[in-house]
Amino acid sequence: MKLLSGHFEHEQIEDYDDGECIFEENDTGRDLYIVQSGTVLILKKNNSETIEMAKFTKGDFFGDIALLQSIPRYAGAFAKGPTRLLTLKPAGFLLKIRRDPTFAFEMLQQMSLRVKISNDRLLEIVQKFKLPHEEVQKILMSIGAKV
Amino acid sequence: MITSIRSDRLVVVSDLHLGNPFSTARKQIIPFLRHAAKAGYDICINGDGLEIAQASFSKIAFDVPELLRTLSDIRRQGQEVYYVTGNHDIALEHFLEDWGAMKVSPFLNLMSGKSRIRIEHGHIYDPFFVKNAFLYETLTHLAGYLLKLQPKIYHLWISYEKWKSRLRAKKTGIRGEHPAFREAALELCRRGFDVIVFGHTHHPGEVVLENGGKYLNPGSWMLSTHYVKIDNGNVSLNEWTMVRPGL
Repeated sequence: MKLLSGHFEHEQIEDYDDGECIFEENDTGRDLYIVQSGTVLILKKNNSETIEMAKFTKGDFFGDIALLQSIPRYAGAFAKGPTRLLTLKPAGFLLKIRRDPTFAFEMLQQMSLRVKISNDRLLEIVQKFKLPHEEVQKILMSIGAKV
Repeated sequence: MITSIRSDRLVVVSDLHLGNPFSTARKQIIPFLRHAAKAGYDICINGDGLEIAQASFSKIAFDVPELLRTLSDIRRQGQEVYYVTGNHDIALEHFLEDWGAMKVSPFLNLMSGKSRIRIEHGHIYDPFFVKNAFLYETLTHLAGYLLKLQPKIYHLWISYEKWKSRLRAKKTGIRGEHPAFREAALELCRRGFDVIVFGHTHHPGEVVLENGGKYLNPGSWMLSTHYVKIDNGNVSLNEWTMVRPGL
């Protein structure tokens, strides 16, 4: 990883080579990343397998779960091809939103889309495996519940 | 709400202010829109297309129906029409959406060719609008009465803004604009946009940003007939003329 510049105090641009790790699953970092160029793969370990959970390209953001929930990284992130990222430090997150309010709008839009996709997938699985109605209701309520 | 779109050919016009006693945009905008659509371009009105803050009802009744009919025709012919809301027409958002001839959005993230382009009215980066919204709206409303008495007063205001911007130490933005707009464009480019198009300031111009991005503003059709043309990711600022029409 090559650090390119720190134009603002709480953000910097980083370059990654093909296959390079941006963060590993369970890392404790809290930075949020925005893809300036290239591609990022999000990989999650499941027993002995590695599942590709998402692919992010120019303009997409990732790392939001660790930032907003203050928990270790849910999955790992790896560069696919030469990749340039804008890295936002947790302390600069609100400042970023103040300077660029549509970023918050786009984040909310992306997150609501991710929730919808998750719910749709869950319903597909429920129909496929014919889970009992009470079980489904319990899962859906736990997703919608405020923790 | 759709904010991500794809179009290889699109023209952007801004700040028509139809319904404002000062606006003469209707005479030129209708032929321009028809010409652009005929040439295969989608249309984007980048905020303040219609006027609420300084509106005259008779002027709205005179100017707006023809624009809406034209946009409706353009959609029927197969071109898309996008309307980005501004600070003078934000109250009309649902009216415009329900009316159905256009896709209404607070901003657009456009993919054209290989370029990622942000089209946004830009009033949320105006320091005066953000810090003193009530005062801004009140003064805008009061200025409407002055314009009814003497529309040309507005030219004086625009000249004053250009003169004021010449006094600033850093002359890196579009002439007449507050530096906050260039800074906002730079901020957006840092998160993966190649080109930024704002309106709002009524000052047409274009600048190349220090990170290689481009910032353009087509100004206002109350003052000149500039438009931004997007052709397969290539973005340019142009001026329309009815004498030799051409894009």
